[in-house]
This record gives sequence, C-alpha cells and structure tokens, in this order.
Amino acid sequence: MQAAVFTNLALGLVLAPLLSGIINRTKAAVAGRKGQPLLQAYFDIYKNLRKGAVYSTTASWLFRAGPVVGLAAAVAALCIVPASGSAAALAFAGDLVLFAYVLGLARFFTVLAALDTGSSFEGMGASREVFFAALAEPALLAGLATVARKTGTLSLTEMISTASANSPELVLVLAALGIVFLCENCRIPFDDPTTHLELTMIHEVMVLDHSGPDFAFIQYGAALKAWVLGSLIVGILLPAFSSSRPLMLACFVGAMFLLAVTVGLIESGMARLRLLRVPQLLAAASALSVFAFMLVVR
Amino acid sequence: MIEFIEILLMLLILFDLALLGVSRLKTCITISSLQGMLLGIFTVLAHTQGLTLRIALIAAAAFVLKGFLFPRLLGRSIREASVSLELEPYIGYIPSVIAGLALLGASLWLGAKLPLSSAIGIPLVVPAALMTFFTGLFLIIARKNALTQCLGYIIVENGIYIIGVASVVEIPMLVELGILLDASVAVLVMGVAIYHINREFDHIETDRLDTLKG
Amino acid sequence: MYSAETALWCALLAPFCIGFVCTALPGARIALRVMCGCMFATALAGCIAIQAVYKTGPVRLASGWLFLDPLSAFHYGVLLLVFCLSSVYALLYFGQELRTGRMDRRQGRLFSGLWCFACAAMTLVLLSNNLGIMWVGIEATTLVTAFLICIQVSRQSVEATWKYIIICSVGMAFAFTGTLLIGASAKGLQLGSHDVLLWTVLRDSACGLEPRLIQAAFIFLLVGYGTKAGLAPMHSWLPDAHTQAPSPVSALFSGFLLSTAMYCIMRYIPLVEAATGTTGWSRRLMIGFGMFSILIAAVFIVSQKNLKRFLAYSSIEHIGIIALGLGLGGVGVFAALFHTLNHAVCKTLAFFAAGRLGQLFGTYELREIKGALHRSPVWGGGLFAAILALIGVAPFSLFMSEFLILKAAMDSSLFLVSALLLAGLGTVFICALGYLLPLCWQQSPHGNPDRGVFITAEAFLVYIPLITLLALGLWMPESLQSILREAAHIISGTTTASAIAGIGP
Repeated sequence: MQAAVFTNLALGLVLAPLLSGIINRTKAAVAGRKGQPLLQAYFDIYKNLRKGAVYSTTASWLFRAGPVVGLAAAVAALCIVPASGSAAALAFAGDLVLFAYVLGLARFFTVLAALDTGSSFEGMGASREVFFAALAEPALLAGLATVARKTGTLSLTEMISTASANSPELVLVLAALGIVFLCENCRIPFDDPTTHLELTMIHEVMVLDHSGPDFAFIQYGAALKAWVLGSLIVGILLPAFSSSRPLMLACFVGAMFLLAVTVGLIESGMARLRLLRVPQLLAAASALSVFAFMLVVR
Repeated sequence: MIEFIEILLMLLILFDLALLGVSRLKTCITISSLQGMLLGIFTVLAHTQGLTLRIALIAAAAFVLKGFLFPRLLGRSIREASVSLELEPYIGYIPSVIAGLALLGASLWLGAKLPLSSAIGIPLVVPAALMTFFTGLFLIIARKNALTQCLGYIIVENGIYIIGVASVVEIPMLVELGILLDASVAVLVMGVAIYHINREFDHIETDRLDTLKG
Repeated sequence: MYSAETALWCALLAPFCIGFVCTALPGARIALRVMCGCMFATALAGCIAIQAVYKTGPVRLASGWLFLDPLSAFHYGVLLLVFCLSSVYALLYFGQELRTGRMDRRQGRLFSGLWCFACAAMTLVLLSNNLGIMWVGIEATTLVTAFLICIQVSRQSVEATWKYIIICSVGMAFAFTGTLLIGASAKGLQLGSHDVLLWTVLRDSACGLEPRLIQAAFIFLLVGYGTKAGLAPMHSWLPDAHTQAPSPVSALFSGFLLSTAMYCIMRYIPLVEAATGTTGWSRRLMIGFGMFSILIAAVFIVSQKNLKRFLAYSSIEHIGIIALGLGLGGVGVFAALFHTLNHAVCKTLAFFAAGRLGQLFGTYELREIKGALHRSPVWGGGLFAAILALIGVAPFSLFMSEFLILKAAMDSSLFLVSALLLAGLGTVFICALGYLLPLCWQQSPHGNPDRGVFITAEAFLVYIPLITLLALGLWMPESLQSILREAAHIISGTTTASAIAGIGP
C-alpha cells in the first residue's frame, strides 16, 4: 500500500510538467507545425531555478510568500487526490473540503502577491482571477458533493474507488469538472496561455513581476495543479477495473495523457471567449453541477 | 429502458436551463427544436409496451410540429424582424439560470408532493414536466422580445405535453389532435401578430409597447 | 328528439361553414349581411334545440361528446341573444366605417368570417361534454377573436392584440394543465378512453376522484379560465382589448366571451365539491377571486379617462359579482346566472351606444364627449340608461340580481364580504355618475344635433335590451325562473327551489 502511495506521488511530481508539453505538441500537430520539445516545461523550470530573483523595493514578504505557498498547496492537493486506483497519501472523511480549499489557499496567496506589487495591471489580473474563481468554485464543490452523495462517502479516496461514470449524474459532474479544469488551468476558452497581449490575460498577468526561482515555483505549482485536477477527472471517469498495479498505473497515465491531448484539441478547435462570455460558461458549469446534485439528492 | 428515458428527461431539463442562459435567438430556437424532437422520441419510448397506432401518430405529430414546424415559423419571423439577439432582458442570463435552478428545486419538490402516479413509473417525469412549464413561463415574463415570449409559450406547451403523455394515457385521440392543432394555430397567430407589431412599430420589444395604460 | 339534434348540428356547423363563405365573398357589405343572416338562422335552430331541452331533457349528440343540458342551454340562449344583437349592430357600425373609409373591403370580409368562427367556437364550448373539447373550443375562441381586436390595424390595437394573445394563451395553458390533472385524478375509476374526460361521467362518479389532485387541478383551472374571464389579478389584458377592439367586438367580448370562460368554471365547481366532500373549498376560492375583482375594478374605475375603458373595468366588476354569487352558493348561484343574462344584455347595449357615440364624436375620451343626449337622443339615452342599469339603479334587473347576491352573502352571515361588496358597488356608483352626468347633459361645444342619420333599426337595438332589462327587473316570468333554477341546480347540486320561492316582486 505504502509503495502505491509513493509511486503515485512520485508520478505526479515527475510527470506533471509533461502535460503542458503534450498539449502544446497536440496543438502544433493540428496546426501542422513541429512544435516545441515535449520537455520544454522542464527546461523552463530548470532555467528559472538557476537565475536570481529580483524584488521590488516596495514589495513585502507577501510577494515572496505567494509562490512558495502556491507550490506547497499544490503538493498538498497532490497528497489528497488518489490516483491509479489506490488510496491517497492523506485520506480521511471530509478531505474533499480540504482539497477544495487547499486550491483556494494557493489562489489566495497568488492574488495577494499580485496585489502586493502595487501595479494596477496586476491588480486587474487579480480581480479577474478572483471573479472567475468565485464562479468556478460552486461548480467544483457542488460536483464533489454530488459524487459524495452518490457514493455515500466524504473521502475522496473512497469516492473515487466506488464511483463509476455510468450514471448520468456523474456524466454531468464530469462535464462541469472539465470546464473547471480548463478555467483553473487558464486554458482556452478562458485564458490563452500563449498570448502576452496584456488586456486578455488573467493568470499570466498576476505573475509578471516574479522572476527566477519564484517563477519556477509558480510554473511547477501550476503544472501540479493541472495534474491534480486531471487525476480527479480521470479518477471519476476510470473505474478500478483491475487489481494489477502496473496495468492500473499504465491506464492512469495513459488517461492523463489522453486528457492533455483532448485539451490540445479543444484549444485548436476554438478561440478564447470574450471576457463577458466567460462568466456565462462558468455559470453553465455550476448549473450542471447543481443540477446533478439535485438529481442525486431527490 | 427506464434509464434511457431518465437520460432523455435530464436532457430535457438541460435544454430548459440552456434556454434560460442563451441570448442568441437562433440558438434558442434550435434548442426548442431539439426539445420538440426529444418529446416525440419520449412519447414512443414511454409506451414501448403498448405502442399503438394512436401513440405513434401523436408522437409523429409532436416530432414534426415541435421539432420542425414551430422552429421554422419562428425562424421566418426572425428574418422578417431582422433581430438576432435578445438585448437587455428584464432578468439577466446568469440570474435567469440561477432562477432556473431554483425552479428545478421547486419542481422536484412539487413532483414528489403531487400524487401524480406517472403511468410509466419514472419519478423524474413530473419534475421534468413542471420544470419545462416553469421555464416557459419564466421566458415569457423575463424577456422583452416578442419572439422569445412566443418561444416561451411553445416551451410551456412542451411541459404540458409531457404531463399529458406521462400521466394521462387515456385521453381520446381526437382531443389530443385538437390540442396539437390549437397549439400550432396559436404559434401561427402569434407569428402573424409579431409581423403586425414589427410593421407598426419597427421593433418587437414588448416593453416598448406601452401606449395603453391605466 | 330527432329534430332537436338536427337543429343543434345545424346551429354548430352553420356558422363554421358560413365563416368560410364570408371570407370568400367579393364585397364587405354583402359579407356582413350574409353573416347577419347566418346568425339569425343559427338562432332559430338554436332556439328549437333549447326548447327541446326544457321540454324533454338534455339533448345528446356524437355519442355523448356533445350535449345540451339546462345549464348550457341557458348560456346558449344568452349567446344567441348577444350574437343576434351584435350582428345587427355590426352591420350598422361597420357600414358607417366603410362609408368613412376607415375600413376596407378585405377587413370587412375578414371580420365577417372571424365573427362566424367565433360563434362556432363558443357554441362548441357550450355544447361539449368532453372537458378536453371544451378547452379546445375556448382556445379556439382566443385565437379567432385575437384578430377581431386588430381588424382595423393601428399601433394601439396591435399592442392590445399581443397582450390578449400572450396572456390568454398562457392562461389557456394553465387551464389545460388543470384539465389533464382532472383526467389524472380519475385514474382510480378505471374509465375507458372514451369516458375519461366526459363531464357527465365524472359528475356521476365524482366521489371516486382523488381529492388532492382535484384541488390542484381546480387552482390551475381557476387561474386559466379566470384569465379568459377577466378575474383579477389575471385581468390585465381585458381593458386594453376592450378599448382597442371595434365596438361590436367589445360588446361581444363583454357580453359573452367572458361568460363563456365563467361557464367552464361553473362546470368544474360541482365536480370539485363532490370530490372534496362538499367542504366549500372551491366556493371560498371563488368568493376570494370575485371579491378581489370587484375591489380592483372599483379602484381602477375611480380614475378613468376613456369611456370604453371604464366599461371594460365595469365588466371586470360584474364578472367578479358573478364569481362571488357562484361562491356563495344557494340562492347566490341562481342570482349569478341571472346576473350573467342581465350583464350580457346591458353591457352589449352600453358598448353599442359607446361605439356609435365614439363615431359621432370621433373619440372615446370622457373629457371630450359632452352633451351626448343632445347630440344623439337615441344613443345618448341608450348609454345613459345602460350605465344606470350597470351601476345597479333600482328598476333594472341588474339591481335584482345584485340584491339577491347581497342577500345570499348576508344569509350565510359573511358580513365582511357584504360590506366590501357594498363598498365596491358604492364606489363604482359614485364614479360612474360622476362620468355620466357631464357626458349626457353638459352643453356640447360641437353645436348641432344630427338626428337625421339614424334609422329605426338603431332605435330597436336600444329599446329591445332596455325593455328586457326593465321587464326582468319588475317581473320575472315563471319560465325563466324554472330555467334558472334548473341551471343552478346543476351547479350547486342541491335544490334551491325553497330559497328562491320568496323572491320576485
């Protein structure tokens, strides 16, 4: 059991940055380009770690705490979410609430760090981030509550080991979580990770002032967050069909890569939404979750 | 089979929620058309045991009328009035969806409360019917565009149709056909009225029809 | 029996067929005349059937789907009366409109056709024994009459039409849900598909209906049909439609369209009462809606600027009085039916007069119509007498029916209801007199009276209703009493003979 937990953790810590590489390669393939190397995210992180950080004289400790807390929270979330059919490192009744708020904590500190710079530009990004998060959070929470009710347990580990996506309510939840996944990881149609046109950026704009190891932490934290949310979706989608560990592991990793490919395809297929439209899509996700919740409660 | 019908009914409710959150009239009409087709399929599925010619006829009529004829009529009105968006409804789109969720809760509660033993034994039927009914009413009340109001009427009719199919199987054929006929004439009449409004006022915003008061 | 059935079939189908003929005729005047003739022929056939009902009992058609019992026969009689009077009036009114060019040939033909269809649809409502067909008929009246409002297209009339269509269609949707729920409540009775919505079958086995569903159904039905009947707070379409429609149409709306919807509610009351164990639940609802309508109408009548709008609110008030009478039960039901007849005759006359005066003065604004009696003695006098009758001045029959309803309220010791009723009627009385006196007597700024243009038919249109109202107020014939008693018996289920015995001057 212990071994399985450590494998999962190690898998997440090592493979997380690979997801963005897969997404980028998928987009490049669809567009007919060769694309950046699969391991580009690793290179970027390594590059930033070697550099020195620059701090503004007006910035306080909050600015330095932001990236650290963000990374710590992402690692904590990784410990809570089970993967590949085995238990999570931290499993107890009610850990799904902790999961949601660990992610919330990361966001909170990122926002504080952005506000701490005193730049109106980063403040705008923080405002957008919080606005969208406020809309995405009900979708996540109601979705998790639906699965909890459906499986009759409050622990993510037990929820995911008993849930299987063959009930229509869980399909609704999955759709909602999919939208939340795109939103939380700043993918199209919410945010365009490739653009540096300031007016359209959300997440990117908040971290403009970070540099060196701090920025590496942020990048790595973001990759871990994507991995965590992805493994949640894959966990609900993929029932524990076999007791053979290697097979389950392979399936899990394959499903994660498939998820990344899907995201890449979505990004190739559509443009970023107008900022006014984003709340509507998030409201739709919340509506799906709440609808599913009502269905299981009735 | 029952699971399949449940999924169908969930789709119906999802369409209701979508109608509340969508601003583009053409999309609204497409959704209503899909909903109409679902109703036709639902009629057949709900009576797979005793599928008679009568039920098949009613299902076909619903499928064609609600899935094709009504959307076509509304689409023509859109082209004539050359409007594509519902601008500034009384209640915005996100509040509308939230209200829709509240209505859904109310429908589920009422559906559990009303002693309407549904003939096909699926608990979601009555809530889905009520939800569709309420959605239609909400559209009529909360939107300004005459076309959206007409669409709301169609949605209300859809809701009633579900109640009719699910709970009272034994209504005579003649009556049901009369009802379908009435509904289609009603949509036609509304279409003509919208045409007149557009010609007299050069718009079809009902909140600006305010000459008569008191 | 055979001839009565044939007559009834003719009365139902003739207007329907003639309606098509009218739209196909070349000229507007000829179409109007054909329509008028058709109405009188229908009335003749209808009278034969009605007479048969009172001589030999209910007439059944189409294996029991259509039938005429005393309640529907009474309403059918009122319908025929209103249609005959309004048709003649329409001939005169639209003759004038055609002469002045405010109406073209196509509109005249369309009007005649729709008018016939409206008659057929309302007849279908009254004749149907099947509650589903009844709904189909009511919805058909909505759709047919919608374009009667905007037959002379203008911004205001289109607006009124839209409000009428959308509000009444939604109301009809409610009514239909109620009808379905009634059908669902009969599930325990194991009825065949032919019988499930038949009113006679449901009445005979009303005790077996599921009470909670019936209650839910009645709420839907009351809201739905109440919308069409103009009960407050679902009345908001009514003043607009009545104001913007041409006067013959307003007369028809007030005179009988509202009563058609009330008739549907009347059919459901005995079912609900029997199913819920005669607790008076449905009656209390009726009292509530009736009182609310009376009060709302009284409040709105206080500040009216338009003659037809004033008459429209008066219709809401009178529909409220009818609902109140139905709710009170006993002699109240009898009085409500009597009031239906009185109001139909009186309101038709009032709208006739208002329409002609409107044509004379070119406006319906109360401020600008002055010295009507001087300008046109026939119609001015007609309006004067009609409004006096409407507000319940003594010798007219409306006074009698309102008095009976008040008596019913006092008898069941509902003193608050009685007080509110008196307050509402009193408010309307004062305000109406306030409008009426300058309208009839004040010196007209317009100078010469034009007495010359009137023809004898117009005098008849004024005098026949007036004499009817006066005569019924002073003396009610034995035959009418028995008709009303039988009809009331159908609604209340118990005999009201003893309660009515002491009535009559």
